[in-house]
Amino acid sequence: MCGAIGDMVAQTGTTSAVKVHDPGKDPSPIIRVRDMTKIFHNRHEVTAVNHVSLDVDQGEIFGLLGPNGAGKSTLIRILTTLMRPSSGTACIGQYLVGKDDEEIRKIIGVCPQNSTIDLDLTAYENLEFYGNLLNVDEETLPDRIHYLLGMVKLTDHTHVPVKNFSGGMRRKLEIVRAFLHHPLILFLDEPTIGLDPDSRREIWDQIKRLNAERTTIILTTHYMDEAEKLCDRIAFMNGGRLVALDTPENLKKVIPSGELIELGSPALDPAVVSLLQHRDGVRSVEIHDHVLRISVKDSSRVLPVILADLEHHSVRVQSITIRQPSLEDVFIYLTGIGLEGG
Amino acid sequence: MNREIRVLFRGAFAIFRRDLRKFLSNPFVIVMTLFMPIMYLIIFGNAMGGATTGIPLGVVQEDPYIHETLLYETGTGMLETFHQQGHPALFRVIVFPDETSAQNALRERKISAYVVFPSTISPGRDVRLYVDSSEYMVPTLVQSGVQSALAMAGAANPLAIFPLYGTIEYIQFFGVGVIVMAIFMTTMMGGGIALIRDREMGIIEGYLVTPVKRSSIILGTIGSGTVRAFLAGFIIFLVDILVAGVVIRSVESFILVVCVLLLICVGITSLVVALSSRFATQQEYASSIAFLNLLFFMTSGAFYPVIGMPYWLKWLTVINPEYYAVDALRSIILRGQGIDIIATDLVAIAIFALFAIILGIVTYRRTLE
Repeated sequence: MCGAIGDMVAQTGTTSAVKVHDPGKDPSPIIRVRDMTKIFHNRHEVTAVNHVSLDVDQGEIFGLLGPNGAGKSTLIRILTTLMRPSSGTACIGQYLVGKDDEEIRKIIGVCPQNSTIDLDLTAYENLEFYGNLLNVDEETLPDRIHYLLGMVKLTDHTHVPVKNFSGGMRRKLEIVRAFLHHPLILFLDEPTIGLDPDSRREIWDQIKRLNAERTTIILTTHYMDEAEKLCDRIAFMNGGRLVALDTPENLKKVIPSGELIELGSPALDPAVVSLLQHRDGVRSVEIHDHVLRISVKDSSRVLPVILADLEHHSVRVQSITIRQPSLEDVFIYLTGIGLEGG
Repeated sequence: MNREIRVLFRGAFAIFRRDLRKFLSNPFVIVMTLFMPIMYLIIFGNAMGGATTGIPLGVVQEDPYIHETLLYETGTGMLETFHQQGHPALFRVIVFPDETSAQNALRERKISAYVVFPSTISPGRDVRLYVDSSEYMVPTLVQSGVQSALAMAGAANPLAIFPLYGTIEYIQFFGVGVIVMAIFMTTMMGGGIALIRDREMGIIEGYLVTPVKRSSIILGTIGSGTVRAFLAGFIIFLVDILVAGVVIRSVESFILVVCVLLLICVGITSLVVALSSRFATQQEYASSIAFLNLLFFMTSGAFYPVIGMPYWLKWLTVINPEYYAVDALRSIILRGQGIDIIATDLVAIAIFALFAIILGIVTYRRTLE
């Protein structure tokens, strides 16, 4: 099954022409997971990954979302050759996980959840060390290191031991370290965990920049905003199972209540309520104080109709708020539990 | 006030209980840490306090001779039965046909000393005693034993003593042992713990997702450990020369020392790599390694001659690589002996190193899979 897309990957490895990243037009999967299960045999048998099948398209940012213990990290560990699945298969490019591990390691970059940066070494020494492990061309390695350090604004700290770095700086260093050898796929396991909002934003920018270089990025997170801002597609995981997989927009449509339109108005006629209630796509209408709260299926289609009706009844609208259900709402709807594992 | 004291004790008790719970939850560490003082008790109590017996002592009649002299016969008889109160005989007497064979036996360390009784044609001359002076404590024991035995035999002949390797200070005897001790200590404590810490911190996992060959990781790890261990040993070796006054007699000796050091370093590093791969936590590793380190060191003869140890402890020296390393280094450094004498030691160390390397590679590899 891996061979079918082999030619495609071989091409991307050599062609220098960079296509503009567009997951819609380039749907060939670079990762294929089929019916994968991982069972740990400790004191109790734990099924960490339970019959998961998914494809990751080339060039997309793919989010694995779920509470702690959902199986995200186990899935990543299997895909990054650190673990063998109990059953099922996974292909990275044309390579089969568990069989062509050495080839896979050449085309992936991994930024694990726990830091693997050596605190006693400087930023440069850390990158140089990994450059040697990754077999980056020795001639170009110093330039590459300086380029990457400049990219994450760590040039001033090139020769400073990493133990003096803040959490955000360490994380950035870790991310570019995974990117030293221009990997085709970058795995980021909880890239912003425990960071302050500024550092998180910087790392998001970084991830977007790396993705612009046509790198496929797979990240796990349990931050909704992170997934929503970054990911082209999101896989919800819970209890080892794949619960849903789609773009953030489509995932939100899963909730029947759709969107919430809130219209502020000084004077509201109760007669409007019954009128709006019969419009297509409107689920419910309520009045709270001076706010008309309308639950709709798709605001982009319904809102013009509603506004026309209100104008017809000379209701002056002072403010309009469209609130989409958050991914968290979707997750709770799908699994019955919150993302924090509650 | 009363309340404050209650709060104080509540906090103290919480910490007390937590620490104790952690202590009790790891019986392996408790047993291992208890083993240490018990081993001290047994080894020091038995070996250092007890009487050394059965020292191999050569006797030979001076050339040329016609009959065994009376002095030779009574002297040998006394030496055979001489003992300290309540202990078996001090000497194990071995008769040599001539001085040359006795001399060779002493050089090859089959005996600790030999006594030369004057020939029939030269009565009244010195009784000569040749001692392997590179050992600690044994020369003194031999000397006083032979002296008392002769006096009891009623011999009036004076006793002339010839230390084979000159006078060797205890610091020199001990200093050579410390070279090996330094290698074992730094590798077991420093190297092993660093490896476990790297694994705990996930640094090893960072290697594993790169295309670096597993054999490269093993080679690099064992290689760096060997160099570190060698440096530790070599620094003590220099200190021995500069401070303890140990003399290196030839380039050949120097090269032999370096060879022995390298061989034992690669062996012990591989052993540590294997052991640290098997232990999950630093604490478990540290407590068992401290025990092993003590056991190796105590039975190595580094600071106390093996001959003085109780019989049941001596067999431990047979499987103790540290013993062979100490013995080889003493032969080269203190006795100026060459490869012919230390061949046995070298073979033993080589077997240990080979075994350890295989064990190290297999065990470490498993943690990398």
